[in-house]
Amino acid sequence: MKTPPSRLLLLCAGFFTASAFAAFEAGTFAYTKRLETNLLAEPKPGAESSGKIAFAHKVKVEEVKGAWLRVSEGAVSGWVFAANLSDAKPNESSRLDGVALLASKTTATAAARPLDEAVVKYAEQRDLKSAGEDLEWMLKASDAITDDEVTAYLQENKKGEYQ
Amino acid sequence: MKTFRLSLALGLALTATAAFAQFGLDLGKVTKAIDTVKDGSKVLKGTVGIGPVEERKIGEATAVEIIGKFGGLVRDEDIMRRVNLVGRAMARYSDRPSVHWQFAVLDSDTVNAFSAPGGLVFITRGLYDQATTDDLLAAVLGHEIAHITNKNAVKIVQRGEAASGVKGLLVKRSSQAAQIDSQLNQVGSLLGFNVLGLTTKLFTTGFDAATEYTADHDGRELAITTGFAPGGMRAVLLELQTHGENRKTMFASHPPVAERLKHLPADPAPPAAEAAPAETPLVADAKDQPVGETK
Repeated sequence: MKTPPSRLLLLCAGFFTASAFAAFEAGTFAYTKRLETNLLAEPKPGAESSGKIAFAHKVKVEEVKGAWLRVSEGAVSGWVFAANLSDAKPNESSRLDGVALLASKTTATAAARPLDEAVVKYAEQRDLKSAGEDLEWMLKASDAITDDEVTAYLQENKKGEYQ
Repeated sequence: MKTFRLSLALGLALTATAAFAQFGLDLGKVTKAIDTVKDGSKVLKGTVGIGPVEERKIGEATAVEIIGKFGGLVRDEDIMRRVNLVGRAMARYSDRPSVHWQFAVLDSDTVNAFSAPGGLVFITRGLYDQATTDDLLAAVLGHEIAHITNKNAVKIVQRGEAASGVKGLLVKRSSQAAQIDSQLNQVGSLLGFNVLGLTTKLFTTGFDAATEYTADHDGRELAITTGFAPGGMRAVLLELQTHGENRKTMFASHPPVAERLKHLPADPAPPAAEAAPAETPLVADAKDQPVGETK
């Protein structure tokens, strides 16, 4: 019996997805890479929160269930989608204030942030004012798409933790 | 050590002058010679210890150059929505999810994609039109996301290679290299780094081949992690190869397609777009591709 191509693709996708998370095993360690990593009570998206861990913290992998890991740091423990963790400590500079600053720009209030003054002057001096205006439009247009809309895209298309 | 730094600063200033010439600054307006390396050292100062804020500033200035060179942006809300949804979905699971990721399409018929430090990703209209499914689009965006998560351009700035990228021009224009436009010092002071050197390198030689293969690998991994087909980039490259790679218009700043294919696993092609039959080519014949940029 021949395997239908669509089923073959699904099998391949399943294999590759599993291999992408193969680095994590129970007893090993991982690092948080978000400013705040939300741990869940169950290994599924939308489950109740069981705690939060800050950026670049080392966590112990207690259990692996498919693409989900149960991790702990001190008294805090819970489930997290494996791709929300890194097997290496985030290679950011020690200036974590800068990281926080960048993240704050993803909020709605920061969406109206104008282009850096130095960059505006740079564009003018390079006779690239039009390109500067295009960039400004890009920043506004892309920020108009909210994180919730990205989450909805992931859900509708069964991507990320919604696979 | 101090002499070395001053020499390096002087070198940066000189090469940046040549870069200005390359990018169209009217050197006839040059009024001052380099009478001090003090201003040059300001440029050098900014190239060490680049944090996220500086990285973003570098990225925005680089983006201005990219947009300026590739015909401006396609101001279409539907296209912006698609590239940002696919791009940010992937970036969410990248090694740097906290970067302020933003994606756009350049209004150019050429087939290429670029990334600027700090989360700014660009794909040309010529390449976007070929990315008929989200699997294919994700493959292209994943490659560029990898350049940013791996800080490839930032490392060029940190290593001072941005200056060496225009060394050839410096030699060709040695008579002019002894002069410097006062704007250079002003811009260098504002931005704290040699943006023209960086963009000259990105537009001409691009990253080295090993860096590109790593980005292909990392982009593929990110696509898989996010749930996109692993064979997206392979499919894009195969289509380009099938229809005749034109080095002037297709991924001109990347290694040859055949070499990139050798470094990718033999993944099956992703499902074709529902509206298009599987045998429909993703790209127009190479002879239909214009040579050079659209603007």
